[in-house]
Amino acid sequence: MAEKPVKKNWRQRLTAWVDGEREFKDRSLFVMEQRSSVTFRRPTEEEHERREKHRLRWFLNRYPIGAGLLGLTLVAVLMAVVLTMPPFGQPDNPMHNEVAQRYLERGYEETGAENIVTAMILNYRGFDTLGESCVLFLAVAAVMILVLQDKKNTNKQDLAQRAREDTLLKSHQDTILKQAARILVPVLFLFAIYMLLNGERSPGGGFSGGTVLGAGLILSSLAFGAGRVQALLTRRVYSAVRTFGLLLYAGLYGVNIFLGANGLPNYLTGMTMLIDLAVGLVVACTIYGFFALFSRGEL
Amino acid sequence: MNLLEWILLFGLIVCAAAAPLCKRLLVTVIVYMAYSLLMALVWSILQSPDLAITEAAVGAGITSILFFLTLKKIHALKGTDDG
Repeated sequence: MAEKPVKKNWRQRLTAWVDGEREFKDRSLFVMEQRSSVTFRRPTEEEHERREKHRLRWFLNRYPIGAGLLGLTLVAVLMAVVLTMPPFGQPDNPMHNEVAQRYLERGYEETGAENIVTAMILNYRGFDTLGESCVLFLAVAAVMILVLQDKKNTNKQDLAQRAREDTLLKSHQDTILKQAARILVPVLFLFAIYMLLNGERSPGGGFSGGTVLGAGLILSSLAFGAGRVQALLTRRVYSAVRTFGLLLYAGLYGVNIFLGANGLPNYLTGMTMLIDLAVGLVVACTIYGFFALFSRGEL
Repeated sequence: MNLLEWILLFGLIVCAAAAPLCKRLLVTVIVYMAYSLLMALVWSILQSPDLAITEAAVGAGITSILFFLTLKKIHALKGTDDG
């Protein structure tokens, strides 16, 4: 480069750069641009197709091999990990430490829940469960924002379409589904309520009970039409129940932490049941909400 | 390990292998449901009834319903009105 720009110090250069002064154009780039390009012939349609077919065949021939290799590698890694794990069910495994022992020995007197799993999920690890409930709550909120169709974002055409689908569904009711649901739905609700209220004594608890409750709601909504459930669970009621569950949980767990989070006084031993109920409400609302929003776009 | 456990574990492997190999998506979801039910039985044999209930309710119930809904939405249920 023959004509070098005058050397400035860094401050002047910075000012020039901020002001937008163009740098000296590199001659080598200029030469590259000037070079006469090779005449580039566009491939004909036929050639293009043949080339694409060839590429596709090349890909399809190698795809199973690659996928198989990847799968085998994963299997090998997992096998290697399993081989280094401690043997199954041995008493001196690292998981049998003082934590599990403490839970098993003093879980009942510290939390008032006979079911150790419930004691662990809702009491010792209650803060994690609170976070999970928040995740479920936010998930439903996000789905609502994305797919909820209400008066503000639907036009007459969509409403007419939905009404037509509803009448079509009503005229094609499935007898088997209906009769089976008539027997199953009460049992499902009863089982769910039993699990929610008795979660501290027997297997089950907030998550499973709430899931069964949501399944019952979905089944009744599928078998008897959406209107049946909507009459009971309008959008306002739905939102109120969902929020009430989360707030109840947060409040109760806040009280628990405030009291030292350990060794509850006697008059508060029923708290685990209430927390179970709160978690169950949130989970049931989440599951039914997902179903209703994805299937009809409304609650 | 008694005979029942062998049957359950074998069924688990068969279901797990069959699920991705099925041609129709509907069959895949149903095989996946069967896998969840077998897994729930295995959990209850392993003396964790809490997990068994949750697995049966979530794996076999809710997940399959959501899968069916998705298949219906994308019109992938062959042999029904959606085509």
